[in-house]
Amino acid sequence: MTRGTGPTPKISLRNIGKQFTVRPSKDQPEGSTLTALAGITLDVAAGEFITLVGPSGSGKTTLLDLLAGLTRPDTGQVLVDGKEVTGPGRDRAVVFQQYALFPWRTAAANVAFGLEGPGSDGRRLSRRERADNARDYLELVGLSGFEDRYPHELSGGMKQRVAIARSLAYEPDILLMDEPFAALDAQTREQLQEELLRIWRTTGKTIIFITHGIDEAVYLGQRVAVLSSRPGRLKQVVDIDLGERGGDGDVRSGAAFVEHRHKVWSLLHDEVRKAREAGHAKIRPDGSAPDEAPQLSKGQLSKGKAA
Amino acid sequence: MTAPTLTKDTAAPPAPVTAPADSGRAPRPAEAGRLALVIRAGARTAGRGIWASGAIVLFLLLWEFGPTYLASASTRVFLPPLHEVLRALGSLIAKGQLQNHLAASLTRSASGFGIAVVTAVALGLLVAWYRSLDRFLNPLLEVFRNTAALALLPVFTLLLGIGETSKISIVAYAAFFPVLLNTIAGVRTVDPLLIRAARSLGLSNFRLFQKVILPSAVPTIFTGIRMAGTSSILVLIAAEMVGAKAGLGYLIVNAQSSFLIPDMYAGILTVSLLGLLVNYLLVAVERHFSRWRTAVGSQFN
Repeated sequence: MTRGTGPTPKISLRNIGKQFTVRPSKDQPEGSTLTALAGITLDVAAGEFITLVGPSGSGKTTLLDLLAGLTRPDTGQVLVDGKEVTGPGRDRAVVFQQYALFPWRTAAANVAFGLEGPGSDGRRLSRRERADNARDYLELVGLSGFEDRYPHELSGGMKQRVAIARSLAYEPDILLMDEPFAALDAQTREQLQEELLRIWRTTGKTIIFITHGIDEAVYLGQRVAVLSSRPGRLKQVVDIDLGERGGDGDVRSGAAFVEHRHKVWSLLHDEVRKAREAGHAKIRPDGSAPDEAPQLSKGQLSKGKAA
Repeated sequence: MTAPTLTKDTAAPPAPVTAPADSGRAPRPAEAGRLALVIRAGARTAGRGIWASGAIVLFLLLWEFGPTYLASASTRVFLPPLHEVLRALGSLIAKGQLQNHLAASLTRSASGFGIAVVTAVALGLLVAWYRSLDRFLNPLLEVFRNTAALALLPVFTLLLGIGETSKISIVAYAAFFPVLLNTIAGVRTVDPLLIRAARSLGLSNFRLFQKVILPSAVPTIFTGIRMAGTSSILVLIAAEMVGAKAGLGYLIVNAQSSFLIPDMYAGILTVSLLGLLVNYLLVAVERHFSRWRTAVGSQFN
C-alpha cells in the first residue's frame, strides 16, 4: 500500500499461460491439453478496482485461482508487490459466487474463521478480540445483529455479505471476487454493488472483480479488462470514467455509462459469439471442460478430497 | 419415533396463520373464533394422536384378549395374555432380577459400542484421508463388512470363551462397520468449495482437516453412530442367548427352557423398550449435531 502508484504495481501478471491436461476419453484415447489462458499481461495498481469480463470458458476463474495461489501458471509469473505468488496467502482474499460459508458456523464465527490461526505478525488473537473483530466487520457490511445466525437462516444477499466480511476480516490488501453477485436477484445485486463501492472507498483495497455482466463491470470498475474466448487472452483494457458519482443520481442511465457499456459490449460481443459457436462452457476446477470432453463428468466424483 | 414430531409440525401452523385474520373483528367474536380454532386444532392434534397410537392399542388389545378367546388351550400356554406378562415383569422388577440382567446387558453393549465408535472413527478418518491406505484396506474391510456378525459368534466364543470378553467383542465388531463407513463417507463428501475457500485462506492440511473436514463430517458420523447403537443391542441379545450367565438374552432363553413363559415375554418386552429408548436418545444426539444442516440443500444447489 505504501508504494501507491509507484514503480511497483500491486499485482503484476507477466505473460501468464495455463494449460490443463484433459484426461483420456473415448474420442481421444491419448488425452489432450486444453489451453485456458495464453499470454496475459496486466498490471494493477494498489487501491485499484478492476473488473474482468469474458465469455464462458475464457478462463476467468482460472485466472483468479492463479492470483489466489490455488494453482500455478505454466508460463509467466504472477507478482504481488513484486514478489512471485507461490501459494495462498493472507495478503489476498477470495470471495466466491456460491458464498462458501461454513454451514456449521454462525455468521460471526464464519467471519472469525480467518482470524483463528497466527496472524501476519505471528500473534494469535484472543477469543474476545476475534468476536469484536467479527462484529466490526459484520457491521461494515450492514449485518449488525445477525452475529448468531447460521448461514441457512440468511438470504443469499446476506450470505454474500458475510462472505465479504470474512474476507475483509483478516485484512488482506487484495480482494479477489469471482462473480460474487451472479446468484443474487437484480435488486440485491444493485444494493451490494453500491455497498462494495462504499467498502472499497473506505478500506482502500485493491479489488479484482470477475463478472459476466457488462453493466456490473462498467459500473464497478475503474478499468474493465475484456478477455477473448478460449484460449483466454487479454483483448483490451477499457478505462472507465463515469465522472463524479458521489450523489444519488442514476449513474447507469447517464450518457457516459451508456457509451462505456457499448464499448465493452462491442468488444465482448464477437468473443461471446465465437465461444458459443465453439460450444465452450465453463472449465471445471479439476481442469476438465465438459464441452471438449463430455465423458469426463465421472471424474467429478473423485475430487471431493483435495489432500 | 418420527410420528410424534410430524404431527406436532403439521398441526402447529394453522393456529398462528389464521389467528391474525380474525383479530380485525369485534373482540368477542374474535375471541370466540380463536377459541374455536384452538379447540379445532386441539381436536385435530388429539385425533392424530389417537390415530398414531391406534395400531399399538389394537395390538395390545389383541395380545390381551386374543389368547383367552381366540387361541386354543394348548396355544394359550405359550401365549399368555398381556396382564400376565406385565405381572411377571412386575415381579421380576420387585425381585431385582430384571435390573441385574438389564445392567449386565447395558454394560456389555455400552463397552462394545464405545470401543467400536472410538476405533471406527479413528480408522475412518485415516482411511478417508490417505488414499493409499484406503486402497490397501478396502478389500479386506469389504469382506468383513459383508460377513454377518452373528456368523462369527462361534469363533468369538471359541477364542474368547463365553465370558464378557467375547460378548463385548462381538458387539464392538457389529457396531464398528456402520460407524466406519459413515465416517469415510462423511469425510469424502465435504463440499469441495469449502475446501477451496479454506485453502485460499492458506490453511495447512492439518488445520483444514480440523476446521473444515471434521466439522462437516460430524452429522454423517453421527448417523453411523445411531445405526451402530441399534445393531449393538440386536447382536448382544443374540450373543447372550448362546452362552451367558446374565443379561436380557439369557433371561429370555432361560425363562423359555424353565417354562416360565410370562417371564420370557417380559424379557422380550424389556428388549424392545430398551431398543426404542436407545434409538430415541441417539436420534436426539444426531439431530443436535446436525442442526446446521436444516437447509443445507438449498444452499449448495
